[in-house]
Amino acid sequence: MSVVGAAVVWLALLGPVIALFTHLSGGAIVTALTSPGALDPLVTSIESGLVTLGVLFVFCTPLAWMLARGRLPFPRVWETGVLCSLLLPPLVIGLLLVFLVGPYTPIGQVLAWMHLSATNTFLALVIAEVYESAPYYVLGAQAAFASVEPRLEQQAALLGDRPRRVFRRVTLPLAAPGLAMALSIAWARAMGAFGAVIIIAYHPAGIPLQIYTTLQETGLASALPYALVLLVVALPLPLAAYIWSARAGRRRRG
Amino acid sequence: MLDADVEVDRREFTVRADLQVAPGERLALFGPSGAGKTTLLEAIAGLVQPRRAQIELAGRVLTSTAPPAVALPPWQRRVGLLRQNPGLFPHLTVRDNLCYAPSAPRPGAELSALASVLGIESLLSAMPARLSGGQAHRVALGRLLLARCDTLLLDEPYTGLDASLRRTLTDLVSSLVAERSVPAVLVTHELTDAQAFADRLAVLDGGEVLQIGEPDEVVLQPVSRRVAELIGYLGFVPRGALVAGVHPERVIAGDIPDRGLVLTGVVAAGRPAGAGWEADLRVGEALITCRLPDKPPIPGHEMVVTVLDPPWFGADGKAVPAPAQSGRPAPEQVHRVPGR
Repeated sequence: MSVVGAAVVWLALLGPVIALFTHLSGGAIVTALTSPGALDPLVTSIESGLVTLGVLFVFCTPLAWMLARGRLPFPRVWETGVLCSLLLPPLVIGLLLVFLVGPYTPIGQVLAWMHLSATNTFLALVIAEVYESAPYYVLGAQAAFASVEPRLEQQAALLGDRPRRVFRRVTLPLAAPGLAMALSIAWARAMGAFGAVIIIAYHPAGIPLQIYTTLQETGLASALPYALVLLVVALPLPLAAYIWSARAGRRRRG
Repeated sequence: MLDADVEVDRREFTVRADLQVAPGERLALFGPSGAGKTTLLEAIAGLVQPRRAQIELAGRVLTSTAPPAVALPPWQRRVGLLRQNPGLFPHLTVRDNLCYAPSAPRPGAELSALASVLGIESLLSAMPARLSGGQAHRVALGRLLLARCDTLLLDEPYTGLDASLRRTLTDLVSSLVAERSVPAVLVTHELTDAQAFADRLAVLDGGEVLQIGEPDEVVLQPVSRRVAELIGYLGFVPRGALVAGVHPERVIAGDIPDRGLVLTGVVAAGRPAGAGWEADLRVGEALITCRLPDKPPIPGHEMVVTVLDPPWFGADGKAVPAPAQSGRPAPEQVHRVPGR
């Protein structure tokens, strides 16, 4: 009975995915994906997603490590800040980003001086995706680092490793499965980023905007193939990370 | 040579100790939980910041708070620390754990030789999670030895392992320490572990080294009543202005005045203990516990026992020479006082 109950809930959660596959027709996919320029948003999404992951990894990994190791004064304040950005609705993030990096703000003027703009540009798309995905990465990476026993790092230091080497040889490998999970969740968030994107980065369109505009202009049926594209792009990385981290865990448990 | 003169502030008290351990010598730090034993080891390892310290190891200054101030980071100290949790890296095989230290040799003849001494040669390709507690400790020990640490600090490493395994590991460490001629310090709150391991025993309480000396000297001639209590003296019998310390295992039945202090008491309770018996005896106001090979009289009956050469303490709790009326001339007493 309990298995049946669990199966019902599980199927209900998967319902949208099932609906997607039952309403897709091969012909519609071919038509949609072969029309001129149909794959440009896919390229835009993947490029901006990769840049976003790079930014997150470089800038947010150290922050997550410091949060996990209690290296920051008033840790609750820092964590609350991260939580705030997690709790802000993406649409609101978009509105506020206009006030932060829009053309009439100090940052916008600095960008203009560098011949850059954070409105309807690739840079704007990356900024929106970073803001939508960063808190997921920071919290996940923090948990990954927190799961590494500090005594192991201490032991590595006593065996003669400088802190950088300890990080490379002990902390990072032990946190890697968790970091990969956090990174892939951030990837899925970045791929699907829409709320902030539609406000500050209507152009160049990524897949979510392509779905939205297609829906507005030609209707549900022609938008569906792009939804499939989004799933195909967004899901493999999290799934691969999940499988890899499960295998790494098994290996460590012996 | 390990020479550590250390003062570390803790919340409740300051831990003070001045220890010298010669190459190949084994020192046991014995004391109750929270006495500051681990803090001392951590100060030597550079993991806690001492208030005042002068720590030297194998001719190198590790820490000095006197000018010129020195505070080597842990990775430059070559101090091997083994804790209760062996701390093997779970993502590396036993072989990679053994050869982890940058100073360790490449896997080769030395690794194989040590692995066979430690009895772990069949485990080299295993992941740490597959090892039993004893095996993990052998690997952790091997890792420290291959790292060519200049000293071994053992922080209650074998807590939670069964007694025979503990003895095997202790013997293994002892022989390796002698062979490699490094100073070794064992922290423990089990007196028998300390005795099995150590050439010298230091008793620590409330952050202070109360006594340091050869294990039997410390056990038979505690310098103070507090040391006696920590060592396991359970009864204290007043005789005039002095108090005699009674260790349960230093009591025999019968009246043998030339072997120590003869006491007449009333049996308060008796129970089997190990292969013999344990009896509580009321002697005047004092209650003493004794371990006896034979069954004691039933409670309420009188019993005469001899306490073998008990230590005597004055009103201030300090050890004093045995009084003449204890039945025989006082043994020559040697009390080493901690500190230089």
